[in-house]
Amino acid sequence: MVNSLQFCLQRKRRLFTGINWHFNSFLPAQANSRETPRNLTISLVKSHRYCAFGAQINSDLVLPELSLSDSASDVLVHIQQGDHDQWPSLEPSPHSTPILQLSPQDWRLELEGIGWFRATGGKLLEWQRWDDSVSDRDIRTFAVTSGLGALAIQRGALVLHGTALERDGEAILLLSHPAAGKSTLAWCLLQEGWRLLSSELVVLGSDGLVQPGMHQLKLWHDAAVALDLNWAQLPPVRKGLKRYALLAQDLTCMPQPAPLRVIYAINRAKEDSGNGVDIEAEVKMEKVSLKASRNFSQTNALMRLRNQAFHVRMYRGMDAEAQLFMQAAALARTVPVHALVVPDGIKAMAESLKEVDLMQPESMQQRSESKQEDTNDA
Amino acid sequence: MPEDQSYWYLASYPKSGNTWCRVFITELMRLSANNPGEELNLNQDIETGAIASSRLWLDDQLGINSCDLSFSELDPLRGHAGASAWLFAEGERFHKVHDAFHSPDSRGRPVVSTTGCSGVVYILRHPEDVAVSLSHFFSWPLDRCVDFLLDPNAALVPGERFGGHQVRQYMGRWDQHVRSWDDQTQLPTLIMRYEDMLAKGSDTFTELATFLGLPTDSKLINQALENTSIDRLKKLEEDVDGFAEKPAGCERFFRSGRTGEGAEQLSIEQRKRLAKGLSDVMRRFQYEGPELD
Repeated sequence: MVNSLQFCLQRKRRLFTGINWHFNSFLPAQANSRETPRNLTISLVKSHRYCAFGAQINSDLVLPELSLSDSASDVLVHIQQGDHDQWPSLEPSPHSTPILQLSPQDWRLELEGIGWFRATGGKLLEWQRWDDSVSDRDIRTFAVTSGLGALAIQRGALVLHGTALERDGEAILLLSHPAAGKSTLAWCLLQEGWRLLSSELVVLGSDGLVQPGMHQLKLWHDAAVALDLNWAQLPPVRKGLKRYALLAQDLTCMPQPAPLRVIYAINRAKEDSGNGVDIEAEVKMEKVSLKASRNFSQTNALMRLRNQAFHVRMYRGMDAEAQLFMQAAALARTVPVHALVVPDGIKAMAESLKEVDLMQPESMQQRSESKQEDTNDA
Repeated sequence: MPEDQSYWYLASYPKSGNTWCRVFITELMRLSANNPGEELNLNQDIETGAIASSRLWLDDQLGINSCDLSFSELDPLRGHAGASAWLFAEGERFHKVHDAFHSPDSRGRPVVSTTGCSGVVYILRHPEDVAVSLSHFFSWPLDRCVDFLLDPNAALVPGERFGGHQVRQYMGRWDQHVRSWDDQTQLPTLIMRYEDMLAKGSDTFTELATFLGLPTDSKLINQALENTSIDRLKKLEEDVDGFAEKPAGCERFFRSGRTGEGAEQLSIEQRKRLAKGLSDVMRRFQYEGPELD
């Protein structure tokens, strides 16, 4: 009786998944074009093939954030629905939190009201909805960021908080923590001829290549307005959020890995103090142009890279901190890291980008900024 | 949880003396160290601990980008964040909080972690003086500050349309904020009135040091008080060419520090609005207002 009930529940969930993707109106054209009725008759749960973060991915979720793949090479990563009640108990690392459970090669995330996620062995990402009110979009928001990031760490890659862009076969990496303006800056760079390699998290292979990853930019409402985007036509990142998703169809994306030329750690000219209730108020700002510091010393660069790991806690909890340290040190030795001071105000930033070349940090340096590294490397 | 991993909250409505309290703690610990070194640098030394609303800290705890959550999803999770053995970085033990203890979105749960927390120091100040201080801090007219203190939806960083380094901090009305911390029973609490910090500094700060398990030697307390007087802090702010926590448009963070400015600068109508709206809690903490009609 219990077994048949469980079977019915599981079947109901699968049906829900199948129906949900079929009617997803916000999917990019290329994703929709692969969902043929022929496949529907084969299986209710269609699998989708992507290439991202250096892996061939098979997913039961449609993931418009990732590049579709028709490669014949072996699938490395599977994303599939799971049942968290069936997951074995974990000996959690002391770095675990009630929401984030960590042990070597096992990463688990429990988001109340949204779902459960588990990444294991660098190969398998399982997800489960909290209830049937949770949409595919809710699930994939966390699956393709934290979930795939955890898998990449388990596979031994270097995963950083950042956004990478390519031009003329070479890449730059913009490092900062969330909500510092990376996506806005990236959008402005795309208008200047750059191509998006990955946003939010960036995976670097041992060969030093930046792997294509998240082909999506998330912009807050105020940024979309300031950039003169038709925000009313943009899908929200998740239902109810005033934060919009610009998917691959809206962006120029780079589907191939690219060697990393330079790394920028972003500093806003005036960081918001966090107490700015009146953040929308007009504040007259002197026009400031984009400035780059001299490249950091290797020690400073290492610390900056280490601090920008895609969740230091995840590395620690999965016993991968030594791996992070070695990879960050190798990167600091081979690629220059500069602080990039970005003018406050989106329009000022967009304007100043027209006057500089981010492949040439020297072009943005000032003679008098000898102390820049120290002051901005907090 | 071992003793050296315990932590404290320094909670307050904004502009009530929280920063002064943090500076005092920093200075007391500096003076009591074996080698006190040079004088306090406001922008480098007040690292008593991350603010509990820090997005960076929350993202690390949750393992996600908290920008992808709505306020109603984030607030119930915030109290769970931080219940790991290593709550905050080593040595950072006193965490500023401007949130009310609960928010309308937190499903009755505290918005801060209580696991392993040793206690909370709640600092409050006469709401009339808070109004004047807010006015200078935010560059707002006094009437708007009075409205803010009486607004049941008041919050810091309240917008849904932009990100930021801190998440939304719900405060509610001034009296709701005070009650939320004073009435909670999950954490040991020391209530400190700003007025007592000024008028009875030695006694009040000795009580604070005792509560926090810091040195209570009267010479150290008095020296730390002298080194963190408002005149001294104004000088230190000049030395660092602007305190890092000062918002754009605010001339100086450490301004007058006086009590009674509200009664001088607010209109009688504004004072009556505050007294009428906040009377119960004002009475609870012996704050006088104008005679009500």
